[in-house]
Amino acid sequence: MKRILIALGVLVLWAGVAKADTIRILMETVPDTRYIQELLPEFEAQTGHKVEIEAISYIDMHSKLVPQLIAPQGSYDLIVVDFYWVGEFTKAGWLMPLDDLAARDGINIDAYVPKLMDLVGRVDGTLYMLPFYNYSMAVIYRKDLIEDPDEQAAFKAKYGMDLRVPETWDEYWKQVEFFTRDNDGDGKRDLYGTVIQGQRGDCIAMQWSNYLYSQGGRFHDENWNPMLDNEAAIKAMEYYRQAVENYSPPGSEAFCFDEAFNVMAQGRAYSFVTFNILYASFDDPEASTVVGKVGIAPNPGGGLNGGWGWAIPNSSPNKDAAWSFIKWAEDFETAKKRAMLGGAPTQSAIFNDPDVIAKRPYYPILGEILAGTQDFPVFTYTTEFVEEVGRELNLAATGEKPIPEAMAAAQEEFRKLLVKDGKLSE
Amino acid sequence: MRLKPIAARLLPHGVLILFSATILLPLLWLLRVALTDKLTAYKIPPEWVAPKLTNFVEIFTGYPFFNYFLNSVTVAVGATAIALPLATAMAYAFARYNTGGLPLRLFVLSSQMLPPVILVLPLFALFLKAAMLNTLTGLIIAHMTISLPFLAWLLVAFFEGEIKVLEQAARVDGATRLQAFLRITLPVAAPGLLAAGLLSFILSWNEFLFALILSGPQTNTLPVGLSSFQTHRGVDIALLSAATVCAILPVFLLMPFMRRYLIKGLSLGALK
Repeated sequence: MKRILIALGVLVLWAGVAKADTIRILMETVPDTRYIQELLPEFEAQTGHKVEIEAISYIDMHSKLVPQLIAPQGSYDLIVVDFYWVGEFTKAGWLMPLDDLAARDGINIDAYVPKLMDLVGRVDGTLYMLPFYNYSMAVIYRKDLIEDPDEQAAFKAKYGMDLRVPETWDEYWKQVEFFTRDNDGDGKRDLYGTVIQGQRGDCIAMQWSNYLYSQGGRFHDENWNPMLDNEAAIKAMEYYRQAVENYSPPGSEAFCFDEAFNVMAQGRAYSFVTFNILYASFDDPEASTVVGKVGIAPNPGGGLNGGWGWAIPNSSPNKDAAWSFIKWAEDFETAKKRAMLGGAPTQSAIFNDPDVIAKRPYYPILGEILAGTQDFPVFTYTTEFVEEVGRELNLAATGEKPIPEAMAAAQEEFRKLLVKDGKLSE
Repeated sequence: MRLKPIAARLLPHGVLILFSATILLPLLWLLRVALTDKLTAYKIPPEWVAPKLTNFVEIFTGYPFFNYFLNSVTVAVGATAIALPLATAMAYAFARYNTGGLPLRLFVLSSQMLPPVILVLPLFALFLKAAMLNTLTGLIIAHMTISLPFLAWLLVAFFEGEIKVLEQAARVDGATRLQAFLRITLPVAAPGLLAAGLLSFILSWNEFLFALILSGPQTNTLPVGLSSFQTHRGVDIALLSAATVCAILPVFLLMPFMRRYLIKGLSLGALK
């Protein structure tokens, strides 16, 4: 017993010793975090700082971050912020403005894609973050099927138009219908035109946004008046419902991106409207049967914009070291190396850099996708908005609620949250 | 005529097999996924390939999984080692002296009535002040706040049972209270104590919320480590399964030895 206690005591002491001059960062378990980790030795050699990255899953990040941010001094010197939280974190005053530091060190803010700077950079004119990576959404499709001469002939015969990378929604939807079929003739469908990620909340809210933009719809006008019950929104929901009923595998109204990804990766779908960062995984032979057979294109009418930004919390114990890390990570050369490893860039020049293209020829398309994206509503209650509206969208997608009724409810929920946030009066 | 007894014997077995299958099949499937890769794991219909151990190698080489494991063992053993003697003393005092009466008992129980998320934020603030965030000591204390009240309440039942009569007999024979406690009560209550200790170990082993919020990269426990296999680019299902198999293993191996005590211990309290 005594020995156990002594052993415990030693362990406890060992764990309690804090390490000096270590930069502690909380990040999410995503490929872009891994690329940073791979390049870390460079930074440590340059500056002598040690870096400790704690990578956890997205669903746990918010609950782990908030107590840290409320505290006068937390454990993290540097954090990354999802665009969902930007409104909440900045309104609560948890993030440190970076304008002075950026001006002092001559950081070129204009190097960033403006859409990302607006999303995870500046808030109401103040610089709180530098954009870290983007996860804008696009259409991932089966290149081998589109290029197949037999398919092309059959498509032309049926619709009187060429089978090519879709540029309009109408074209895309015809392809979705065309490729939904039973190839082996056993009476069951084995190829679906698209894959829906219709789970309540985040999953459906993200994917449905692309349908909304495709119909020319927007979440709100420039005065924050919600636009979820107008003709475009209802039309978008009708397409989505149609996909759930006819063109997507059974059960996909409960899928999130992981389940949907696997349908596509197992070769059972023609296309998938999803995050551009998933694209590289389709070329990973450990996860996919369609290696080399997929392409990526902008969503007709624009896809959803998304991204993460580096931020220094006011509770950061070592703000200077945190800033030196951001400067290194966002330096053009480091950012370029990250892109060459497969990272999702945020600086305009990287998408068309010759070295990057030599390694990853599809990067200019990713730049095009990002440039054409539309924004999701970012305000103090974005997280609640996703829950409330995500629920109504799912009810409409499964047919449990008539579409106009669900969209009217979504409109009302959105309006209430905007009033609560002071964006709308009454 | 002999059919009936056979049927009568088969039927309960059939029902039992069905019940066992609902528990065992997911575990077997988990093992199966742990031995394949993500691609094979999701194939429909399932495709059977030669099992490989690469996932197990990767979680120990590519991730600080051994560290998570060590942390979990330290915290679970530490919290149990401190909570069990304290809870025993507390339960004994409740059972024999009625210390503090019903109000104190309810007070002890009240911390169990709160959802953990209410406790975790004040604990965070306290640990922040005491510089105990991200330490195993802090985590052991946090887990004790869960196991101590629970164990005390569980053990009161043991000390209020027939043991009381045995203890009185020892006192009549001239033993002091301490002697009676050490020589009679503790040995008789041993299965109960063991069962309680095991439950405390499992509670701590599985605990997620406190570990998530109060620990840091060096002090993360298994449940927190496991959750990191669920990423924004999908769930690393094969790695996650391999890690889960490893996480279940200690409790799984402990079970056959402890089962006897656990069931006896639990029923001892219940039958009283």
